[in-house]
Amino acid sequence: MGFAFHRPETIDAAIGLGRQHGEAARFLAGGTDLIIQINRRRLAPQHLISLAGLGLDGISETPTEVVIGAMATHDAVVSWPGFQKELLALPQASAVIGGRQIRNIATVGGNIVNASPAADLVPVLLALDATVDLSGSTGSRSLPLDRFLVERGRTERRPDEILTTVRFAKPPAASATWFLKAGRRKAMEISVICVAVHLVQNGKARIAIGAAASRTVRVPEAEALVEKQGLSAFREAGQIAADKTTPIDDVRASARYRKLLVAKLVERALAACADRIERADP
Amino acid sequence: MSSLERRVAGKRLNRIDGIGKVTGKHVYAADFALPGMLFGKILRSGEAHARIARLDVAKALALPGVRSVLTAQDIPQIRFGTAIKDRTMFAEGEVRFRGEAIAAVAATSLEIAEAAVRTIEIEYEPLPAVFDPEEALLTGAPLVHAGWNDYQALPVFDREGNISGRSAIGGGDVEAGFARSYRVYEHRFTTQHVHPGYTEPRAAVASWDGNGDVIVWTNTQLPFDMKNMLAEVLDLPASKIRVIVPGIGGGFGGKLRVGVEHYAAWLARKSRRPVRVITTSEEELTDAYPRQPTVVTLKTGVSRDGLLLARQGRVILDCGAFANSGPATAAIALQVLAGPYRTPHLAFEGLAVYTNKGATGSFRAPAGPMANFAVESQIDLIADDLGIDPLEIRLRNIYREGDTGPAGETLASVSIEECLTKAAAAIGWSERKPGEGRGKGLACSWWLTTGGSSGVYVRINPDGTVTLISGAVELGSGAITGAAQILAEELGVDLTDINVTDVDTHSSPYDYGAQGSRTAFSVGNACIAAATDLRRQIFELVATQWNVPAASLRLENKSVVGGDKRMSLADVASLSQRMGGGLISHGTSIQPMPVFDPNRVKHHPLPAWTSHSFHAHAVDLSVDSITGEVSINRYVVAQDVGYAINPTYIEGQIEGGVAQGIGQTLSEEIVYEDGRVLNANLTDYKMPTMMDMPRVECILIEKPSVNGPYGAKGVGEPPCIEPPAAIANAIAVASGVRVQSLPITAEKIALRMNGGR
Repeated sequence: MGFAFHRPETIDAAIGLGRQHGEAARFLAGGTDLIIQINRRRLAPQHLISLAGLGLDGISETPTEVVIGAMATHDAVVSWPGFQKELLALPQASAVIGGRQIRNIATVGGNIVNASPAADLVPVLLALDATVDLSGSTGSRSLPLDRFLVERGRTERRPDEILTTVRFAKPPAASATWFLKAGRRKAMEISVICVAVHLVQNGKARIAIGAAASRTVRVPEAEALVEKQGLSAFREAGQIAADKTTPIDDVRASARYRKLLVAKLVERALAACADRIERADP
Repeated sequence: MSSLERRVAGKRLNRIDGIGKVTGKHVYAADFALPGMLFGKILRSGEAHARIARLDVAKALALPGVRSVLTAQDIPQIRFGTAIKDRTMFAEGEVRFRGEAIAAVAATSLEIAEAAVRTIEIEYEPLPAVFDPEEALLTGAPLVHAGWNDYQALPVFDREGNISGRSAIGGGDVEAGFARSYRVYEHRFTTQHVHPGYTEPRAAVASWDGNGDVIVWTNTQLPFDMKNMLAEVLDLPASKIRVIVPGIGGGFGGKLRVGVEHYAAWLARKSRRPVRVITTSEEELTDAYPRQPTVVTLKTGVSRDGLLLARQGRVILDCGAFANSGPATAAIALQVLAGPYRTPHLAFEGLAVYTNKGATGSFRAPAGPMANFAVESQIDLIADDLGIDPLEIRLRNIYREGDTGPAGETLASVSIEECLTKAAAAIGWSERKPGEGRGKGLACSWWLTTGGSSGVYVRINPDGTVTLISGAVELGSGAITGAAQILAEELGVDLTDINVTDVDTHSSPYDYGAQGSRTAFSVGNACIAAATDLRRQIFELVATQWNVPAASLRLENKSVVGGDKRMSLADVASLSQRMGGGLISHGTSIQPMPVFDPNRVKHHPLPAWTSHSFHAHAVDLSVDSITGEVSINRYVVAQDVGYAINPTYIEGQIEGGVAQGIGQTLSEEIVYEDGRVLNANLTDYKMPTMMDMPRVECILIEKPSVNGPYGAKGVGEPPCIEPPAAIANAIAVASGVRVQSLPITAEKIALRMNGGR
């Protein structure tokens, strides 16, 4: 299990190390999944390149945009004061990732790049139409998160690229987000299903679901129905989401239960968003 | 309750091992290391049932850093086991479960040992396997042990083929009872494998000394049993084996039997170096001593007003590839299945059955939660059907003082009515369904205090302190503190004056071990005996000095007092040291067996219970109408402890037992598929977290036992017995869904609420 540990101080240095060692290297963010994979011998990188010293752990807001550094921890998301109203789903999701010790070290970027279909924060970011920013040896680029995610454990990131930030437009005042998770216990739990919904009054609807397919997915058909018919379509939207997703049977849950959860949790999350918008409306 | 005012016993004093543990200075077995120590690792079977066609360890032996490799070829063929000698250290020609040990390596680092294990070449020829205990009972089922009839076994057990033990209890005429019944109910319940969940893995370091003795530092719960077991496996006289227990990070019955000690000892013998073996989480979930799964069928006939007239029941207990404590557990299940209820006609049968899965063991209250889940779920089902309140139907059937128990024994110190009424009152039983999706449930049971002898040496030192030398280990329950409180009480000293030594089988007196809710009980009694003898020694010595009758002396404030004279205990100890070798005594205890009717029991190793405790649990919970998720709002335990030696640690035992019970009820399960464990890691083996735990409200009832110190009864095991049934009963009220298989996952509830099965 021997590996060399690198702690670069600039993004360029980190990218250089990434290019130099290629497939033999792994970037290390919080390490809450990577180290487990190494310990279980599923991965055996010869180089670990720490991203801790690159200044990527900030969260910032402009009048129109929210920018979260890839190395921001889930604990930082939970305590960021700007995530209380329309963006409540962000701390809702980050607050139920692992346990306290994990949230204190696991990062937003790690949650995205790890590309687990059960990642809790990813559906929220998908529902917010987030964009990811990447830096690599050939320069920087940005991609919609929806395009960045490919399948379980796979993204569009090239081996020498670092995810630096994730950003999304600030939602309007008459909007809401909501996150729901189902699992066997109340902490230290990998989602059996997780659901994030973003609803704008008389505007767009976004429905994103985790642990129901080979990657976190949106359900455009259900979104379109809600945008057209509003409140009356919530139940049907849930059913469409269940029909369009392809969960698996595994030791955590059956596909049948997961489908049931998708249908009901989507409906519940949509209703919660509608309720918040209504309450906030003077 | 005793009117006697006690100074130390009964008080909420800090435990004697507390400071070292909370400051991280306490040395547990897994912390223990020796200079030059090697690291052992075990190669485990990848097949559930197969003949080993080829085994080649040459590459492992050639790996730099490897000091020894052992297989069945390198050691004597010795079978060992608790009830039946059916197990060997390494599979001999045939593997019987996926995870069985085949070879072991000792190397200079754990990484090298692991790498060496991976180089061992093995080829299997698969054999027919059986995984379901009911299928294992069918004619023509594959035999897990083709040579079962040649194994040595304790004579009490009745064995045949895949049945490693069959026992029965009962009396009367059940068919006549059913014929007279107003209604007869038949139900089937199933329960799952659960791991004891101790924080510290099983760990042992073994080292051979110049005399050819082996010293094993281990976190075993039963050091003397371990000594004898190792003597067998190492083919040595027991006097050559020295077992030392530094500290134990939890055991819960999972550290009763040999697990890593024999590998450490044999590897050390072969390598001529000390060797440490520690289990991983994966090994814990594939080859440890988890609670056995069961299938319980129960047929009950009742009168119109809910009196139990006749009951017939069968417990099929899946003990895995080796019997271990399975036959005894299947037998004890029968008393739990009887419950604390009168039944004129009773016929219960218990079967322990071999399958090609990992061995199992005596997890806290063996058989308790499984059998209680069946009987206490069924009582609620019957109550609902008859339109009788579940508390009321229990009160109509419970044992009363002087009743006859399942084996015909006379029951004394019966407190079940008080337990039930107090738990029900505390939970607010009059409002069983306080709102939509919310409900309350009850369950009750009884349990034994295991006997077995204890010896202690007690020495009063010239500085006035007292040394307690016991062969009993502190498992983490606080039991040794409890025993020390009794000793301090008896000698008129403070708890802080008592020092307790570590257990070393070369020098400690015998103790039956940390099992069966007996440590504080039995060691406490031995302390009373030792203190009684010390008082005699003290008074005789001082009487000679003062020239007064010994009977005129008494102990007061750490001094001997007689008339207007006073001598401190420290001075008495100094005097004794100068004149007679010091103040030291040997106290012993053994609990007498009760009288029972041998015609009512067959092949049962524990036919009648002693110093039994009674208890009732009540829970208030909510069920999410969509996800099926259960949230426990309140949890109440009313437990008869006989006498509360230290209420704080009794409450700790109750809280911990309820946590384990909640885990078994809602989330924990070692999931097997065709003999392979699908969740051999702590990501997917789900013990409850703090977020899943309610505050547990404890009501301690003190109805003294005849045999316990100051009337105490066994405390440690009972709290994990009732949670499955109490929670299942509350879920039925809250959601309308009755789940008869453990664990009661949110999935099972949600699919049933939404019209599935």
